[in-house]
Amino acid sequence: MSEFQSSPKNLTRVKLTVDLVIFFAFLIAMDPRSSGIAVHEWLATAALAALIVHLLLSWDWIVQISRRFLGRVNLQTRINYILNWLLFIDGSIMMLSGFMISEAVFPALGIELPRNFAWRELHDMTANLFLLLLGLHTALHWGWVVDTFKRYIFKPLGRLVFFRRRKDVTA
Amino acid sequence: MKTLGRILIILAVMAIVMGVTYAAVNAGGSSSDTPQFEAGRRPPFREGQFEGEHREGRDGREGGGGWMFGLIKNVGVIAVVVTLIVLPKSVARKRRRTAAAG
Repeated sequence: MSEFQSSPKNLTRVKLTVDLVIFFAFLIAMDPRSSGIAVHEWLATAALAALIVHLLLSWDWIVQISRRFLGRVNLQTRINYILNWLLFIDGSIMMLSGFMISEAVFPALGIELPRNFAWRELHDMTANLFLLLLGLHTALHWGWVVDTFKRYIFKPLGRLVFFRRRKDVTA
Repeated sequence: MKTLGRILIILAVMAIVMGVTYAAVNAGGSSSDTPQFEAGRRPPFREGQFEGEHREGRDGREGGGGWMFGLIKNVGVIAVVVTLIVLPKSVARKRRRTAAAG
C-alpha cells in the first residue's frame, strides 16, 4: 500500500484535487499567447511537481501492471498502460524542449542554453500530441471521473442546497 | 523514504527520456541545416498553432477574450476525443445489456 493511502476515500479526494489542478494548469499553460510566456513556463515547471504526485498516487497500479503486463491483463488496462507511458514520454520531451527554448525560467536562473530551431518544432509537436493523449487518458478514465465528481462534488453540493432549503422552510 | 525513492525513480526515467531526446536532437541538428536562433529570441509560433496569434501581441497580454478562446479550444479538443471514445462504448454496453435482458 502507498504511504499516501490513509483511507481510500481520502486518497480518491486527493487524486481528484491533484488531477483537477493538473488539468486546469495544463489548459492555461497550453495557451501561452494569452497567458504570456512567463506564466506558461513557470506554470508548466510547477506542474512537474503535481505530475510526480499524480504518479505517486497511482504507484501501486503502475507497479502491479508493470509486473503483469506480459501476462494476463485485459485489453483496456493494457491500452491504458501503454497510453500512460506515451503520455509520460511525450510530457518529458515537451518539458525538455520547453526548457531548451525557455525565455523566462532558465534566463531567470541565469542559465543560457544553446539554441536550436528543432526544439521549437519539437515543443509544438509534443504539445499538440499531449493534448490528444490527455483526451484519450480522460476518456479511458471517464467512468472514474463521473463517479468521483458525483460522490465528492455533486452529492455534497446537492446536500448543501437541500440542507439550506430545509433550514429556510423551518425558519 | 519510500516516497523519496519513488520520486527518484520517476525523475531518473524522465532524465533517461530527456537524455535520449537531447542526444537525438543534437545529432540530427548538427548534421542537418536546422536554423539556429539567437538567445532570448524565440522564433514565432507556427501559423494557427495558437488562436491568439491572429490577434495583437506576441506575448499575448490581450485581455479576457484570448484566455477564453484558448481554453475553450483546448477543452473542445479534449471533449471531442472523450466523446468519440466514451459514446460508442456506452452505446455498445447498453446494447449488450438489452440483448442480455431480452
